[in-house]
Amino acid sequence: MLESVIPWLLAGFIAVLVAGMLRRISLWRAGQPQQVNLVAGLMAMPRRYLVDLHHVVDRDKVMSNTHVATAGGFVASMLLIILVHGFGLDSVWLARALLLTTVVMFIGALFVFRRRLNPPSRLSKGPWMRLPKSLLTFAATFFVVSLPAAGVLPDGFGSGVLAFILLAGIVAGLGEMLFGMGWAGPMKHAFAGALHLAFHRRPERFGGGRSTGLKLLDLDTSNGKTLGVAKPTDFKWNQLLGFDACVQCGRCEAMCPAFAAGQPLNPKKLIQDMVVGLAGGTDAKYAGSPYPGKDVGNAKGSPIEVITEGLVSQETLWSCTTCRACVEECPMMIEHVDAIVDMRRFLTLEQGSTPGKGSETLQNLIATDNPNGNDPQSRSWWAADQNIPLMSEKKEADVLFWVSDGAFDMRSQRILRSFVKILKAANVDFAYLGDEERDSGDVARRLGDDATFQSLAKRNIATLKQYKFKRIVTTDPHAFHCLKNEYPDLGGNYEVLHHTRLINELVAGGKIKLDALTTAGTVTYHDPCYLGRYNGEYDAPRDVLKAMGIELAEMERSGFRSRCCGGGGAAPITDIPGERRIADMRMDDIRETGADLVAVGCQQCTAMLEGVVEPRPQVQDIAEMVAAQLVEIEQPASKREVA
Amino acid sequence: MSDVIRKDPRKNWILRNRLHPLHEQVVAEMNGPAAVVRGPSGLIRKNPHAVGFIGPNGIKRIDRLGGSGSAAASAKREQQEEQLPIIAIEQPQSYVVVVVDAANGELSAHDRDVLGQARLLADGRAENTAVVALVFGALKAALGEAANPDHAFGLAGADRVMLFDDECYAGFAPEQQLEAMLAVDRQLSPVNWLFPDTHLSGNDRALRLAARLGERPAMHAWQIKDGKVTSRGGSEMTDITRDLAAATAPRILALASECALPVDEARYEARLLPLPSVPNAMVRIKDAGAVAVDPNQIAMGEAEFILSAGNGIHDWDQFHATAAALGATEGASRVAVDNGFMPRFRQVGATGTWVTARVYIAVGISGAVQHLQGIGSCEKVIAINTDAGCDMVKRADLSVIGDSQEILAALKARAEQGAVAVSEPQQGKADGESNHNVA
Amino acid sequence: MSRDSIKSPAATLASNLNSSTGQTGKPLTITTLVSVGQHPKSGRARVADQDAKALELALSLSAGKGTAAVGKGEAGAGKSQINLIHAGTATAEQQLVLRGYLGMGVGQMRVLKQSDGADVIPVLVDAVRKSGSDVVLTGSRAEAGEGSGMTPYLVAQSLGWPMVPAAVEITAVGSGEFEILQALPRGQRRLLKVRAPFVASIDAAAAEARQTAWAAGQRGALEHMTLSSNDDAVLAEAAVEPARKRPKRIARAKKAKTAADRFKAATAKSASKGGAVLVKESAEEKAEAIYQMLLSQGVLKAR
Repeated sequence: MLESVIPWLLAGFIAVLVAGMLRRISLWRAGQPQQVNLVAGLMAMPRRYLVDLHHVVDRDKVMSNTHVATAGGFVASMLLIILVHGFGLDSVWLARALLLTTVVMFIGALFVFRRRLNPPSRLSKGPWMRLPKSLLTFAATFFVVSLPAAGVLPDGFGSGVLAFILLAGIVAGLGEMLFGMGWAGPMKHAFAGALHLAFHRRPERFGGGRSTGLKLLDLDTSNGKTLGVAKPTDFKWNQLLGFDACVQCGRCEAMCPAFAAGQPLNPKKLIQDMVVGLAGGTDAKYAGSPYPGKDVGNAKGSPIEVITEGLVSQETLWSCTTCRACVEECPMMIEHVDAIVDMRRFLTLEQGSTPGKGSETLQNLIATDNPNGNDPQSRSWWAADQNIPLMSEKKEADVLFWVSDGAFDMRSQRILRSFVKILKAANVDFAYLGDEERDSGDVARRLGDDATFQSLAKRNIATLKQYKFKRIVTTDPHAFHCLKNEYPDLGGNYEVLHHTRLINELVAGGKIKLDALTTAGTVTYHDPCYLGRYNGEYDAPRDVLKAMGIELAEMERSGFRSRCCGGGGAAPITDIPGERRIADMRMDDIRETGADLVAVGCQQCTAMLEGVVEPRPQVQDIAEMVAAQLVEIEQPASKREVA
Repeated sequence: MSDVIRKDPRKNWILRNRLHPLHEQVVAEMNGPAAVVRGPSGLIRKNPHAVGFIGPNGIKRIDRLGGSGSAAASAKREQQEEQLPIIAIEQPQSYVVVVVDAANGELSAHDRDVLGQARLLADGRAENTAVVALVFGALKAALGEAANPDHAFGLAGADRVMLFDDECYAGFAPEQQLEAMLAVDRQLSPVNWLFPDTHLSGNDRALRLAARLGERPAMHAWQIKDGKVTSRGGSEMTDITRDLAAATAPRILALASECALPVDEARYEARLLPLPSVPNAMVRIKDAGAVAVDPNQIAMGEAEFILSAGNGIHDWDQFHATAAALGATEGASRVAVDNGFMPRFRQVGATGTWVTARVYIAVGISGAVQHLQGIGSCEKVIAINTDAGCDMVKRADLSVIGDSQEILAALKARAEQGAVAVSEPQQGKADGESNHNVA
Repeated sequence: MSRDSIKSPAATLASNLNSSTGQTGKPLTITTLVSVGQHPKSGRARVADQDAKALELALSLSAGKGTAAVGKGEAGAGKSQINLIHAGTATAEQQLVLRGYLGMGVGQMRVLKQSDGADVIPVLVDAVRKSGSDVVLTGSRAEAGEGSGMTPYLVAQSLGWPMVPAAVEITAVGSGEFEILQALPRGQRRLLKVRAPFVASIDAAAAEARQTAWAAGQRGALEHMTLSSNDDAVLAEAAVEPARKRPKRIARAKKAKTAADRFKAATAKSASKGGAVLVKESAEEKAEAIYQMLLSQGVLKAR
């Protein structure tokens, strides 16, 4: 009896699945057009899934293996079920293979079950708590159902009461796995996730690449389009698809500095709210952690309603420090930061509602090319006694030193001077732009004002075009990121180095010699987000520290998991209140290592960490540390002047 | 005896020459007899403590000039202020009119500067030119019928005074005041109208008069030199210099403070002039009086009295209560704001608001550089802190070391009991505009 | 003094609100005259701070804090209209700046295009007269050029309207009457009453202008009108140069007849260096010392 029902059940569920998929696809297609290579994407998908995504998931070995077993078991089982039970292929071997895959899936599901016994707070509950049971049901049922076909049990084994139980199991299992996949159950992630990997907006991220620069905004206002994202349908279609891929594992939530600081942001909830927006409805069914300080159940939206009017509050969007910890951690490679900045663009460019000192900062950037409204003619004052060659006089140099806005800040000037000292000690052929330099546009861009960013960037590029240089070096990771990853969209292609990389080169090349630093006590290193996660520069600063004989006491959260200092994404400007300060939490991380000194490679991080109330470990930029340890190198005798 | 010190060149010469046989004797004579005595045993004893004198800064000085230097200086100081001459201009042929602010009925320092400038303009003219001070509202010290050379106006350089102290000129009455100025203009046809360039008083009057007369004024003028007037353009970025002899020369000038030195070498008559008849203006702007302002509604940058809280505050209710009792605007350090005790707009410092308060009380603020930068233009800083060595104490004009909670409690109690006692003399200041008055 | 006993100026006014309509019940027409400003540090053209505050005041007056209090039926009639007028050379660069005003939420601006150095008053007066305005708002002082602050006075003079300087808040109290809060130094305020039509200049202490939304500014319309104009002869004769630093007045070299005295006066340090430090006194004595200083500075206000 069962044998005759199963094909129809399968066909029915698959039809429902396809209908659900088509509906989901239509929801995504309501988004803005974005060119993707469909065929190449689909072809690349298995590799992206098995290699790139696996790398991320593999950071948690147990979960990784669990997922391999469960998902692999399920995909194989499903194919075999269609063959064995759907088309009734009478092959003992196929059926035995099916038995094997269901066993594998069952074992995987057991681990899922175990994790769900006492789930960490980052995991969403609700329907996700049901999933392991459904997985077990599915695997167990099809194992039993397939026993006759595999010749283990006689045909006609499933009859009577057992048949009904098995039938119920089949319906429950297929319901979760197929119906749920098409109609927004937890299994939606498999379908949306697969397509998301295929049509990802940043395909460069796969295969070990890195793509972190924000996408250029088309500033044409004549075609009636809103700038930035007001409604869910203003997202690109593959961004909407990406939101649907979320598995609500909460790894982003666990890493988010704003969430930990009690600011009203939870990246997971944000993505789920985007899902609510693209499908329409409320967040009442959301079963994970809320935005700190905000109750779940009040948000509602639809594809054509403005997101910030009822779905997501503006403070949520402004809490983000754009540190990319969530993106780095997301096993589905969802781009949270892109989405947040897209929505910020709408708030700033269309609504003019940048909070805090945002408006003032933007006006200053427009009127003075620096965020604090300093006289642009005073940009080079810090270097009055430094005797640095000006690019406008020299026209050509090996290295162009990009000073960035630290030029106006007395603390940052110490870093700049130290770095100049190093460059001079190593006889590097360098020059700087002096007053010709402008803000890189980083702050404007993170504040959502792409018009100001583009204006600054274009003028900077025009300035740089006048001169010949091989490389740009900067002490500011934010400018580093802008110049390296965001200027190419506007036609500025440069080889850009962070100063730690150049110092490392100089040390390795024997251009400078460093004394061992023995008096500093315990030293730890704080990875700036825009240097580490944005640009993958984890080694150079560590190598430089090593060259000074420093044995680093690494923080638990370092490298790609480094916690933000709270200074990125214009967060100090928008200043959304939380329960704690991110910088204080980071200083606690530092204190945990017992460090007396924390080495930093970013003036913004230096400022944030030094803003923590004393007593606290000392904060120094690597350039300052290196400048203090410089040892004079014996010049070759021929070059020496005879006294 | 005459105060004039007469030098004895011979004695000075002996004083300078220690080898001179009479040296000891002359020194003893100059520094007092106790310096050198013959002891009981017949030995000459010098008393080192008797040598010299204690200087004005508390340091002992030995004067080998025989006291002529310091004695001369102190003698001069003791001299009575010399009587300044009175300069009278009897039959003025032309006039320079200064419309003084005289808020609270007293000349402000700015008023005196403008009068000083008027003096220069008037005295620089070939014909007999009188400086007329035009006052709206009552004066604190009344002017007599005859000449008043010792009145503040006379000392400040006014030859004549026109006092419009009728009720209708009081408060914000720009329309009636304009009518009065027009009447004066008709009667005296002054060669120049000068105003202190002050917010809402001099500035407003100058602009009104200029607009009505259809003249081009020189506003924000800060220097008159060599027959040319220099005024600051918009955003203080340009200097606009105009020739005062040209046909298009501005007759109406609004002058910045410190445009000229106040008069200090002569006294003038400050005679009251009879007032011209002034038509009643159609009053369309009605002054409904000053509005009581909650100190906490005042923008930080404008507040004149700030009680600012830092990391050292533990009892925030008490802090707010004390601020209310003192009538102070509340401020905060960055740390207090970061910790969520105060809103961000209350933050004082380079990264918050730059404040200009007359009195700034920093409670439990150790004084980070950025914070000290932000209070750079505060006149008086009072520090309440537990750490006597912190930077805020170094900056403060008055520092109180101790537990902030205790001191705030005492201060609050003092303010509450004292407020009644001081309410009388302070009344005048409550509705005054600005208090630049010279005592 | 307890905080509750003092009403904030805003609260005082808000309680008096009932309507934002003009004299005859017709919707209020507010004209804001705006100029191209100049950043004080960079000297670059920008949205003028006070003009933007004037527009902000106009926007909040028209959004009528008042109209909310009016019944729903009247709300349509109470919706007031904002005219934005600029007169000047309106070069391409300046137009970018002018769009900054549009970005604050006004659909269009009338740009009266003139030759460089022309007198703007006649064309402004003409434009205001034709607009049928009830209220004209301007900044107090231009950021570029002479910046004498004459514009609002001359416009008011030509129109024969009263001119209210240094306004920070304007509220319509019905039947053409307005209450204006005027900024006095040190954050103090004075209440004035005036009937429309009138001209008011806005003080720097007025509420900060809202942020300008770039895209809205780009979409807004600049209606150009080229006008013949008279040149400004007076300014043409004057010498205009970058501001010099004002010499610091040497501290009262009053009776200084000798070089030594003048030198002493010039180098004298202010007396406040190195303040008194109280450590051992009782809390009451310390409080007394502070209190006396507050008294001597005259910052303790009577109730």
